[in-house]
Amino acid sequence: MESLTGNQKVTKSPLFKFLILEFICLSLMIADKNHHLAQPVRNALSLAAIPLVKIIEWPQEMYQIIEVALSRQAQLIEENTQLKEQLIDTQLKVQQNVSLTAENERLRNMLNATTTSPLTTSVAFVSNINQHQKKQYIIIDQGTSQGIFNGQAVLNLEGVIGQVDVLAQQFSHVILITDKAHALPVEILRTGMRTIAYGNGESISLNEVPTSADLQIGDVVVTSGFGNRFPRGLKVAEIESINVSPDRTFQTSVAKPYAQFDKLTEVFLVWPSNNSANDE
Amino acid sequence: MHLSILCAMLIMLIPWPKAMIVYQPHWMALLIAYWSFNAGNNRIMLVAFCYGLLLDILMGSLLGKHGMSLVALSFLVTKSAKQLRMTSMGQLLAMVLVLMLNDIIIRGIIDWLSFGYKPALIDLAPLITAGITWPWLKYFLDRMQVSYRNST
Repeated sequence: MESLTGNQKVTKSPLFKFLILEFICLSLMIADKNHHLAQPVRNALSLAAIPLVKIIEWPQEMYQIIEVALSRQAQLIEENTQLKEQLIDTQLKVQQNVSLTAENERLRNMLNATTTSPLTTSVAFVSNINQHQKKQYIIIDQGTSQGIFNGQAVLNLEGVIGQVDVLAQQFSHVILITDKAHALPVEILRTGMRTIAYGNGESISLNEVPTSADLQIGDVVVTSGFGNRFPRGLKVAEIESINVSPDRTFQTSVAKPYAQFDKLTEVFLVWPSNNSANDE
Repeated sequence: MHLSILCAMLIMLIPWPKAMIVYQPHWMALLIAYWSFNAGNNRIMLVAFCYGLLLDILMGSLLGKHGMSLVALSFLVTKSAKQLRMTSMGQLLAMVLVLMLNDIIIRGIIDWLSFGYKPALIDLAPLITAGITWPWLKYFLDRMQVSYRNST
């Protein structure tokens, strides 16, 4: 470095390199904030990142294979009976639902209201769960090459999990509903009141309910379908505690999500009903 | 060199239990600081940039957030590397802690501006673990470098 002369000194000096690299970073960040501009760069780079993700996934898959191979027969038989009982239960509920759905259709037709179509879903496997204080997300093993798009709803048999936030070719990040930067339009099942549930790092909080509204502990919170991101009527959480805001105009309540975020293995991705689902 | 940085990235990616993640030191930053300290040329900044972008893809953050903080880190260390080599271990440790704090601040600012995350005091917890792991890391990597040089 000491023997550089004249012109060379400016372009090769560390300060110049630093400024150039920082400028590139800054422009990438601004482009990425508006999502679609940086997606090709992300796709190209994610090809390099795939080996690392596979290395992380591999021990988990090995564990699952070994677990299945070593399961004792008694345990498997017991699990089998439990699943059969669950299946019978759900089939009975489905039978009841068939007549309810038909009646619903008739009533909606009479009122000339739009009909709701059933959900098209596909399964994805979770490869990493990250519930850090600042950012809560999971990584699933499907990406743009399977047709996943930004903002796609992700749920679980127990409740809503989040939406697809960052895409790569072979994997994608799903931001959880408990993340502080996430807001979910919900309604209270019992009363039909619509509000928004914000993530607060551990569970979700409903901050905008007026004090005059009827809200009780134990109320079930479902998605309201507003914003066209999440379909209507999916279970989200249950109200745990209710407080009053400092200026006594709103009730702030905390709701515990039904989905167990630290035990996720498979999740369902929701596809819009006018496209066909990719079953992979 | 690349092998150690890749190992650090893998360590950062493993799904640690929830309680441990808060205290995890930023392994990538520690390693980039170490290699900027030892490498004589300026290519380490380009390397830091590339690995920063890769880390961004893997952690799903805004493309360039880790790139920016790692490049800033390697720049600061490269600039003062000559002076730092003559200092004692304790002073070097203090310098590294300050640089880690800088790294956390840069990432915190970017998070705050882009997503509105309010920084909490718990975010500084990684500093403590970084302070504990840095001397061991330096010692271990120094030994490996010496043995690598002796064998080739």
